[in-house]
Amino acid sequence: MATITPEIAEAPAVPQQAPEKLTAAKRAYPGALVVVEGIDGSGKSTQLYLLKRWLEIGGYRIHFTEWNSSPLVKSATRRGKQRRLLTPTTFSMLHAADFADRCERQILPLLHGGYLVLADRYIYTAFARDAARGCSPHWLRNLYSFAPVPDITFYFRAPLDVAVTRIVAGRPKLKYYEAGMDLGLSLDRAESFRIFQEKILNNYDQMVETDRFVLMDGTVRVNKLQKLMRQLLGDKIDLAHFAPKKK
Amino acid sequence: MRRLRPAGSRLSPSNGNSVKAGKGAGNNQAPSIRFYGVPLPGVRPEELSGNLIVVEGTDGSGRSTQISLLTEWLEGEGFAVQTMGLRRSFLVGEDIDALLAENAVTRMTLALMYGTDFFDQLERRILPALRSGLIVLADRYIFTLIARAAVRGIGRDYLHGVYEIALRPDLTFWLNVKPEVAFDREFKKSQTISYWESGRDMSLSNDLFKSFIRYQSMIKREFEYLSKRHDFIELDGESSVSRVNHLLRKRIASHLGIRGTHYKPSHALAHLWR
Repeated sequence: MATITPEIAEAPAVPQQAPEKLTAAKRAYPGALVVVEGIDGSGKSTQLYLLKRWLEIGGYRIHFTEWNSSPLVKSATRRGKQRRLLTPTTFSMLHAADFADRCERQILPLLHGGYLVLADRYIYTAFARDAARGCSPHWLRNLYSFAPVPDITFYFRAPLDVAVTRIVAGRPKLKYYEAGMDLGLSLDRAESFRIFQEKILNNYDQMVETDRFVLMDGTVRVNKLQKLMRQLLGDKIDLAHFAPKKK
Repeated sequence: MRRLRPAGSRLSPSNGNSVKAGKGAGNNQAPSIRFYGVPLPGVRPEELSGNLIVVEGTDGSGRSTQISLLTEWLEGEGFAVQTMGLRRSFLVGEDIDALLAENAVTRMTLALMYGTDFFDQLERRILPALRSGLIVLADRYIFTLIARAAVRGIGRDYLHGVYEIALRPDLTFWLNVKPEVAFDREFKKSQTISYWESGRDMSLSNDLFKSFIRYQSMIKREFEYLSKRHDFIELDGESSVSRVNHLLRKRIASHLGIRGTHYKPSHALAHLWR
């Protein structure tokens, strides 16, 4: 770990040395990791779903994983959320434990087993969201430093209004933590959600360069964007490696 | 949020020179040295008027006995006491029990669940108590968590980074006992040796005794390293209960400004006094 100095912790930007350290981690497995990131309503899940369908239909060796889905810590997360017990720190720790479980029991074994792993949200979600809650960016970087570095990270970016409208229109009620109500930004859930998402969006934007995000315009037509995504994936990853064996 | 510049030693080993954590300074410490690094969000160090006293040591070191006796002594002296320990958080305490029972959990997940448990107690139990000027007696602290994870191959730097936002204790006592003595005491107490306390998840030996000794020796080595780094007050846990208690009281009394250290356990605790 790099030397922690108060100057870094005070700086609003993501510490400069962290991404280098992450990418320098030697990739000791034959698999590959594809990640989509972006705020709610940016279109990332739709696009990853279509990418997954394309690869599935083609018979590729793939595995799809989602953020916050591990059964091991589910009861704790549910209890914490229902009773609103979570602070920025325990919220972050619990999600890190959840991610560690998925990482150690799914993602890493599959990467070693030569799978193309598709992840809907990854550690950058924690960096953007937990920092918006007030956690130190430097602390967060260290907390997740055990995570394998993605081979490609697609960052879906839509203007805040577009993204927020997509979410608010499609959901009867925003949940307490989802709307960032724990931050006391606004008593109105929709308004709180909007302010929270804006903070997250700003944090994502700061990682585009440091974490080599591939920027995707979330306002582009779905099929057109998907075509571009498939092309970019093929440019970056040798898909033949994951293709079904021909006889 | 306003962030305070840490003044004292940091938890991170990359900054080697450690500064004494304001020993004997009571409540007059500069607030910034109460945390290892940047404090966790939402905490104002200057609000914390109480004292955090940590007792570390392996199972069988007499830790819990000493905590009970110290609680009675301090309450007799007129100090309000709050205790904490591992797996006691409302948030995940029971979940960790369940994970341990299943043996299906991986090391990093377990380490981070223990971390969640710790921070939940820190924020919901310790910090409110310290804001109210209580004495918090911690039956183990981050050091046990760091040692256990470190012997399982999780990086020390990583672990120090996770706990960098934690509160620095006013005093940290380490009740040091030989693994063989811990084994005897634990076996006498429960007629068996626990799966986790003997490190059986680490495949050290099929023989339970050998596994226990090897595991506890590894933990002890981590504590020796941590002891230097974090200014532990090391006590011989193999001495009699009354002797160890006397030494603890003496040190705590000087820290809190208590004049006399005379203490005799009440009838309820007399059985612990040997």
